[in-house]
Amino acid sequence: MTAFYVERPRSMRPVSGDEELAAAFAAKERWAFDEAYARFGKLLYSTAYHVLGNAEDAQDCVHDALARVWRSPDSYMRSRGAVRSFLTVCVRNEAITRLRSRTRRRKLEERVAAQPAEHDEIATVDVIERDRLHAALRTLPAEQRRPLELAYFDYKTHVEIARELNEPLGTIKSRIALGLRKLGTALGASE
Amino acid sequence: MTDHLGELAALYALGLLDTNEQQNADDHLATCDACRRLLAQAEADVTAMAASQPQFEPPVRLHAPPAQAAPVRQRWIAVAAAVAIALLPIGYLLESNIAMRDSMLADSQAIAAVANNPHRTVAFTGTDARVMYGPDGSWYCIVIRNATAPLHVMWPHDGTQTMLGTAVPHGNVALLFLPKSHRMDQLALMQDGRMVGQAQLVF
Repeated sequence: MTAFYVERPRSMRPVSGDEELAAAFAAKERWAFDEAYARFGKLLYSTAYHVLGNAEDAQDCVHDALARVWRSPDSYMRSRGAVRSFLTVCVRNEAITRLRSRTRRRKLEERVAAQPAEHDEIATVDVIERDRLHAALRTLPAEQRRPLELAYFDYKTHVEIARELNEPLGTIKSRIALGLRKLGTALGASE
Repeated sequence: MTDHLGELAALYALGLLDTNEQQNADDHLATCDACRRLLAQAEADVTAMAASQPQFEPPVRLHAPPAQAAPVRQRWIAVAAAVAIALLPIGYLLESNIAMRDSMLADSQAIAAVANNPHRTVAFTGTDARVMYGPDGSWYCIVIRNATAPLHVMWPHDGTQTMLGTAVPHGNVALLFLPKSHRMDQLALMQDGRMVGQAQLVF
């Protein structure tokens, strides 16, 4: 039999770089959707799951968010930054919108009360990663950390946060923006 | 909205804006490159937070939404080809030849894909075979002429080979349709444990 693995096959290399993927995604090339999901599906699903706390809802959320992005003209432009960040925020915002629905929230609470979390084991394994986020949060001044925590973990609006912390709305906006940028830097966020 | 986003970029990325605020921001973003970059940074920050939480494997894999509809003429060709070939198995069904029916349905899929989509063709070296495939790597159709025995279609990658399927000859032609989403840049044909053909695909 002829040996045909003389060199590392080209298919071992990434199919595309971030720039190529971004361009293809903006142009709505079909393969770009598949590749984006192959690369970021775990992050997108996990992001939705953390908000909704339910595998089925998280799955629906990711599917609907991505389908909406795909079907909307000009939904993504390359100057919007990385496809990964764009999709993560789309999915998270979709999940938050769903969570804010009163009916869905009631169902979710009933379901959560009735059933154990579906990903308990993995959550335990990933405690180091979770600590990384909380450790980074602890580096923020309390006046920036608290509104950011209420926004990120409790999905409260800036109006609700201002009311809860008894601070002017403008102050809360500034503190969230400043806290988020500091946290992103601490976590090594790159555009 | 004519003002730049400023701090609203962070609120946007965190999902804190109400519908009106978000619509105003979207209107502005459509025309302001600087604010798109500001939002991109805020989205990267939120994504860093999301990526720092426990990660879970999704239970199922999603697939791309349907591609845009093909031109009417191409669709008619595809439909005609699919219907013509899909009808053929009826005779075999009467003889309870289910395997043959499945094989012919797969053939109809292959012909529909070739007729309905732009594609590239590459010949295999070492045997009278060629592969037609979508330029996006979403499907592959391997046709082998003068085939006398089933041939296994393999994807050599990562120092190993993945078996994709078996092309079984009907008459002297064997055909295998592979609706795969990977961009496979190398395919091999194996018969009796021996490589008899190889194709290099270009994307």
